Amino acid sequence: MCKNHLNPIHCIVPPYMLTKLMESGNKKIADLAINSNFRSFRFRSDRIFFQQSSIREKTILGLIGKPGGKETMAMEVYDCKQKTDFMSANLLWDTRTNQKLTSVAGKNVIKGGKAAFDFYWQLFGRNSIDNKGLLIKQYVHFDKGMDNAYWDGRRMVYGDGDGSVFTSFTSDIDVIGHELTHGVTENEANLDYENQSGAMNESFSDIFGIMIKQRYNNQDVKKSNWLIGEKVMIGPKYALRSMKAPGTAYINHPELGDDPQPATMDKYQKLPDTSSGDWGGVHINSGITNFAFYVAAFNMGGYAWEKAGRIWYAVLTDKDLAQNAKFADVKDLTIIHAEKLYGIDSSEVKAVKQGWAEAKV
Amino acid sequence: MKIKLIRTGGIIPITKAAEAEVEITAHELEGLLEKIQPDSPAGRIKDGNYYELTAGNSRTPVDLEKIPDEYKALFSKLKSDLKIISNKKGPV
Repeated sequence: MCKNHLNPIHCIVPPYMLTKLMESGNKKIADLAINSNFRSFRFRSDRIFFQQSSIREKTILGLIGKPGGKETMAMEVYDCKQKTDFMSANLLWDTRTNQKLTSVAGKNVIKGGKAAFDFYWQLFGRNSIDNKGLLIKQYVHFDKGMDNAYWDGRRMVYGDGDGSVFTSFTSDIDVIGHELTHGVTENEANLDYENQSGAMNESFSDIFGIMIKQRYNNQDVKKSNWLIGEKVMIGPKYALRSMKAPGTAYINHPELGDDPQPATMDKYQKLPDTSSGDWGGVHINSGITNFAFYVAAFNMGGYAWEKAGRIWYAVLTDKDLAQNAKFADVKDLTIIHAEKLYGIDSSEVKAVKQGWAEAKV
Repeated sequence: MKIKLIRTGGIIPITKAAEAEVEITAHELEGLLEKIQPDSPAGRIKDGNYYELTAGNSRTPVDLEKIPDEYKALFSKLKSDLKIISNKKGPV
């Protein structure tokens, strides 16, 4: 007998056996078998219905999060203890037990992860990374002095930094939002991680990362400095990227030299589609589309997530956004969605067009 | 023989490298490279780091999680000696 049921007929009984039991002379057994068969039928038909229903239908039925609905965030935070083996990582914190913890990196990723979850949930009704309530797994203190953070398709991973150029990669909410958004993109357009589509993949992560930070800090487009990873990089003059002025996040850095990001399409860098070529410059040419978003959001005014964010989210989740989309494809889709949301002659559409024009796309 | 460990990739694309002079025959190196060959990935890791080993004219992708015990100290030293050599240009 399974542990969840007191009656053996409610356990996994093969259909042929159930049919036989329904014909039993013992009324009690026959009744239980009929009841069990009915439950199985309901379960099978429900599962087929839910598999075939659209996101809109699921949202109406409350199966997918929506603003004002019940929060369903599930998160686990692990300590890798400066090793590279995920299997031996210690569970530091999870949403079920909500333990108190002293780890600064742990606290940072909980704060950033919650800010990112809330952003997607409260503004767009998106229930976690996959819109189905996926458990958010974050691993801190990965490797010795690793100067990086990444999304590996299942989890977000953060290093402590080398201590000279970089500090902990958990220090900035925008970096945490950036990594989580890679998961969102993977579950939506799944943009190819190379050349222009890869740069768009990176750009969506920066765009939503910066908005997650701006919202957490209650910053409008004027108050924000539009810097990604300003705490991660050691030194007050440095950040990983500037969306407002790509190419200026760090200048004459003793180790890194100058920020290589272009702001405009005429400065697009053709690089090899290799790891050492940054897969065709995905973190470099993203400066162009980051700048287009910055200009559009700034010209719309107010909070970036209220208008520009809605437009870019509509594009990110649009089935017409191809995996190998180019900048021009994204440009067209942002204009289409701005027109749908705000009207053809709206100031928002003009701001979007202006953004792409300034980025020379 | 001189070998060089190269690390590329990352949320900010930086190339780092470290060199070491090692007592290893061409045959042993070939065996090592075979053992530490990365599995073909399901997809590219977003913001991920990648490692390669150069020896002579060859440059081979490697998976540091597969380093055999007898080479662990060497690769641990190489990893800790990694220094930034580039953050913007193509292959080094």
